[in-house]
Amino acid sequence: MSMAAAPANIIEIKNLVKRFGDFTAVGDISLDIKKGEIFGLLGPNGAGKSTTINILLGLLPPTSGSVMVNGIDMRKNPDKAKKEIGVVTQETVVEPELTATQNLMLFGKLHHIPASELQESIRFALDLSGLTGFKDAFAGTFSGGMKRRLETAKALMHAPQLLLLDEPTTGLDIQNRTQIWNLLREINKKQNVTILMTTQYLEEADQLCNRIGIIDHGKLIALGTPAELKRKIGMSSMIEVAADKDDLARVAAVFKKAGLEPQILTNKVVAPGGTNAVDKVQRLMRALTAAKITIQSINMHEPTIDDVFLKLTGSAVRDETGSDDAQKDATAALMGRGRSR
Amino acid sequence: MSIIEDTYTLFIREMLIFKKNIGTNIARGLIFPLVFIILLGAFGSAPKNVPVALVNYDNSAASLNFINMLQSGGSIVVTSDTTQPLAMSELSSGQVAAVVVIPAGFSNPQGSSSIYTYLDNSQPQSAGVVSGVVEKIAAQFNVKSLTGATAPQAGADPISVVANYAYGAGSNYESFVVGGIIIMVAAFGAMFGSGFTVISDRQLGNLKTFLTTPINKYSILLSKIAYGTVQSSFSAYIGLAIGLLYGATIAAGLLGFIELLWIILLVGLGFGALSVAMATRAKQLQTYALISQTITMPLAFLGGAFVPVTLLPSFLRPVSVVNPLTYAVDATRDIMIKGYLPLSTLLLASAILLAFAVAMIALAVMFFRDTSRQI
Repeated sequence: MSMAAAPANIIEIKNLVKRFGDFTAVGDISLDIKKGEIFGLLGPNGAGKSTTINILLGLLPPTSGSVMVNGIDMRKNPDKAKKEIGVVTQETVVEPELTATQNLMLFGKLHHIPASELQESIRFALDLSGLTGFKDAFAGTFSGGMKRRLETAKALMHAPQLLLLDEPTTGLDIQNRTQIWNLLREINKKQNVTILMTTQYLEEADQLCNRIGIIDHGKLIALGTPAELKRKIGMSSMIEVAADKDDLARVAAVFKKAGLEPQILTNKVVAPGGTNAVDKVQRLMRALTAAKITIQSINMHEPTIDDVFLKLTGSAVRDETGSDDAQKDATAALMGRGRSR
Repeated sequence: MSIIEDTYTLFIREMLIFKKNIGTNIARGLIFPLVFIILLGAFGSAPKNVPVALVNYDNSAASLNFINMLQSGGSIVVTSDTTQPLAMSELSSGQVAAVVVIPAGFSNPQGSSSIYTYLDNSQPQSAGVVSGVVEKIAAQFNVKSLTGATAPQAGADPISVVANYAYGAGSNYESFVVGGIIIMVAAFGAMFGSGFTVISDRQLGNLKTFLTTPINKYSILLSKIAYGTVQSSFSAYIGLAIGLLYGATIAAGLLGFIELLWIILLVGLGFGALSVAMATRAKQLQTYALISQTITMPLAFLGGAFVPVTLLPSFLRPVSVVNPLTYAVDATRDIMIKGYLPLSTLLLASAILLAFAVAMIALAVMFFRDTSRQI
């Protein structure tokens, strides 16, 4: 242990660069994550999010730059730095052929928890995940939510300072998702564990995170509290017009004539309303009628993190309709940018 | 924390999974040997051009005629030796599969008209061919027709053939088949045990999770190799048990049984390490399965698991020399059929299999140095 005072930041990323051949996955990112916060890292597929996290976890060596975890250099002292982090990966990794206790025992030993403390750590984890009643049941028989809770508890057994979760609620229903949110809040408050998470549900980041960072094309393009980020796009209401796919370009032209800055999505056109948004909606409707464009709906809503994301990256993280076109767009974006690592 | 402790932790994980799936593992252990025993047991092959040393102590028109007839079918190729000890040394060194001795007085109607054969029953297909040919030709001669007759006549009073087996009467074709199968099962078992789980663990995200813990990363490799060795030995021991029920015997007795377990363990270790090395580079399970079969099947064949190496065409012989399975199969046959295992054979087999294992572990470690492919 060094004599220096404990650092205020749990994570300090300085000028991080990662290249795969000619492809730059991460181009000079610097980011501090403060002790005790819940931090959300967002970005479209292939933006460099996963690469950044893999470097943070010591799974990939950076091309240049440094990562400090609780004051420990991940590059120089990976074994020590890794002890400060608990990880919940995107693929729910529990061993279906092992019981809950065996799962915890395995990870306790992999984290080098001393034998004298192992039983206590397992009891703590079972209690935290609410799985004490299922401790001898095979994890393969658990529901998706139970598996996630077991995995989260497993990641906290060795009392890390930072819990890193890669899309912790993807694929869970709303009930299980709420349970995980409550669990994360509890861990953050009671165990005083800093949480760093990635998510594709922007409302999740909005509700759960103290601060959000948005990565695109390997750069950190936005950083702040959800409120700060929303203010950044004009604080105004958003105007949204849904129409036939073939009509979207014409709808966008009408938006432009009305002095708005439209963005075309799969099935709608969106723009920040600015001041007098209500007036603009009325004018838009008249103009659309005059242009003989049939629309499906028109509405106004308060800006969300989705709108921030859209404004900054030019793409939606997830398309609400989940249509084939959205899939194709996502695939094309992915291929254009190279596979995320 | 040492690499050994990390390896042990991960090995226990593999064994818990193994235990959970014990039914599947036993079934896999049973099916493979059974299929091969049925196939190979039913279709013993009949080789051509089997090398035979012939000692002719009679040197008569009748004995020369007899030799010509032996060769006429093309099944055996005769080389003549002057003395029986010379021929026998060729037999024990594996240069020939049998020795045929025509004793002095063969053509004398008053003498005992017998032919003596010495068969290398560690090559049962070849031995079978030789004894078949000799019996058939002998039956075409009869004692009375031998003097001066150029054309042989069958009839009463045929020439008898006295067959001698080089390696004890208890050994049989079953032992030959089973000896090859257990080595092949050991090699295959390791390929399916170690490498497959490396790839599935990578696809499920387990490797990534293990790498985020402060363990020595090579303990992942070592635990996989140890597990592959156990899985492969388990299958091969089941194969051996089935083989013994089927009728194979271990001529070297209890000590031989222990020696067999050792040889199997070494094959599992080497091929477990080979499979892990391949799995660190193969992205897809399908690619891995294709490559591992392309390697294992020919190695088992060229190692003499099904057909004695002496019967391979000459251009394939060099492959057998550098093939570790050749030495494993040799040792197994010595133990099961010949009934003795000279220390030199055991040491040679052990040394070669260990060297192979060490080389494969080194290869796997080299491939695993950069783990960015594993996440």
